[in-house]
Amino acid sequence: MFKLRRRAQDGRVLEVLDLTKTYGPPDQATPVLRGVTFKVEAGSFCAVVGPSGSGKSTLMNIIGLLDRPTSGALRLDGLDVAFGDRAREARFRGATIGFVFQSFNLLPRLSAWENVALPLVYAGAAAREREQSALAMLERVGLSHRAQARPAEMSGGQRQRVALARALIRQPRLILADEPTGSLDSVTAGEVMTLLRDLNQRLGVTVLMVTHDKDLAARCARRIEMLDGRVVADTGATA
Amino acid sequence: MTALASPSPREVLRAWARSGAQSGAEALANLLAQRQRSALALLGILIGAASIVAMLTIGHMAQRETLKLFAHMGVDMLQIHANPVGPFPATMDRATIEALPRTDPDIEAAVPLAVDRAKVAIGPASQDAGIIAVAPNLPDLVRLSPADGRLFASADDGSLVAVLGAGAAAALSTPGAPAGPGSRVRIRGYVFTVIGVLAPVAFTAMDPTDYNTAVLVPLGDAARIMATPEPSTALLRLRPGADAKAVGERLVVRLANPTSAPQALSAQELIQSLNAQKAIHSRLLTAIGAISLLVGGIGVMNVMMMGVMERRREIGLRAALGATPRDIQAMFLIEAGVLALMGGVVGLAFGLLAAFVAARTSGWTFSLSIYVLPLGPGLAAAVGVIFGFYPALRASRLDPIVALRDE
Repeated sequence: MFKLRRRAQDGRVLEVLDLTKTYGPPDQATPVLRGVTFKVEAGSFCAVVGPSGSGKSTLMNIIGLLDRPTSGALRLDGLDVAFGDRAREARFRGATIGFVFQSFNLLPRLSAWENVALPLVYAGAAAREREQSALAMLERVGLSHRAQARPAEMSGGQRQRVALARALIRQPRLILADEPTGSLDSVTAGEVMTLLRDLNQRLGVTVLMVTHDKDLAARCARRIEMLDGRVVADTGATA
Repeated sequence: MTALASPSPREVLRAWARSGAQSGAEALANLLAQRQRSALALLGILIGAASIVAMLTIGHMAQRETLKLFAHMGVDMLQIHANPVGPFPATMDRATIEALPRTDPDIEAAVPLAVDRAKVAIGPASQDAGIIAVAPNLPDLVRLSPADGRLFASADDGSLVAVLGAGAAAALSTPGAPAGPGSRVRIRGYVFTVIGVLAPVAFTAMDPTDYNTAVLVPLGDAARIMATPEPSTALLRLRPGADAKAVGERLVVRLANPTSAPQALSAQELIQSLNAQKAIHSRLLTAIGAISLLVGGIGVMNVMMMGVMERRREIGLRAALGATPRDIQAMFLIEAGVLALMGGVVGLAFGLLAAFVAARTSGWTFSLSIYVLPLGPGLAAAVGVIFGFYPALRASRLDPIVALRDE
């Protein structure tokens, strides 16, 4: 396992090759993913859709290095990430992937900027640097006036924008968004989506978004539809 | 998992440094968030640190007080006291005692003395007082100093002079006629001329009687006012390096006679027995401290375990944001350490307060040894980190997916 970091020559930030995942003991194994293969180009905006139980979340967890596949290969940013080492996975995850959750997952005790700066703690950044970067990132998502506010003092849309700033603070190659607008009303959801698309275009960060919302999915350049642990439709499939 | 099994020391340090940067203040905030529960856990740590601080401080003061007890006579004192073996008063031979510095290589100075009680009076004031009939060289041996007048000189032996203790002088004074040099003191029909008054002096275990309330007369005058004018006690100063116990045993044999069975009491032995007593107290307080710290440590573990369970989502989130298992572990260890440290600091205050009260009630001067200041809180923090280890390990082994899914 050498650390040679090969940038994807073909501009692919994510390559999923025949991933399978089964849960439970071998004699009564439940397959959740049954061979998923797709590639995502750098800078693209991609929706993953499918009914509950289709394996979307498991797929996202595996891509986010929070779970490990039973078989198959996963390449992130041109690197085979079958590390088998939680610490190394965590460091790679922190540097490469930003997470956006349906329920925001902000720490209630921390102010907006402290929440945004949290990933930098694990990057080993100095306190001053953390604050400056966090304030700059809050400005990008249009929340610099709320930097000192606690999550409880903010609206849902504002919270999700703080979460977006947090996901972007380490300039990841890939954003994994799990139902990012699921807890928001349609107007706010539209605003957050617009922001997400804007950041995708301006920063060139790749976005992989799980959603139930057909309208939202329709607005994405590419849709990957899943059913029963398989990809059943992929608008961007290129052999 | 492999990361937990084989962490390189550098990695551990880096994780600590990383988490430490934020966690000092954050740990405090997290602990404040669960104030009540933290306070309860702190109680044990607090009591433990307090009793250990109190024990060390009281021990330190007791040591100083013990040495102070021997300050006016030194720790190289030996006292031989004659106990009666029959119906007759026990006495020892004055000449033999006075010859000891010449005949015994371990003895530097020797003072024979006899003790009695009698009514003493100056003018209309009278008082029942201890009478110490002593060889004139007493000041060689016991650090007594005159507040007024002078002490005995060798020419005074048998010349009806007296030195008053500070308390005796005060008791024998009448308004307008303070007892002092030149006063005439009546003892059993004889009139003694006061030549000096002693400065107040602490009563110590090695004194034949309290010098403060006594009237001192030369041993040569003892025959006039005492039924048994022969010395019953010998105060001896040992030469440096002498073994007090061996010398005592030797002299007990040498000074024995048909009327008395002498008994030796040395300052060294006295200090030893005081120290032995102190050691029992110390051991008791140490045991209380250790048990309290143990209970407190379990409390800390309990609080941390609950914290880990309640903050599963946060742990999962931090993992998603790039925290390694070691970062998570460090975060909880620092929290446990900070929690216990707070208990230790409050315990330090309570321990010092207890020691202060103890000093007040036993009339000691309060003093503390500087090393207890970091020791009390340090010990507490160490207990916190030790007992925080298991919860921290549990936190670091949480599966981030399960933790994140938790509502």
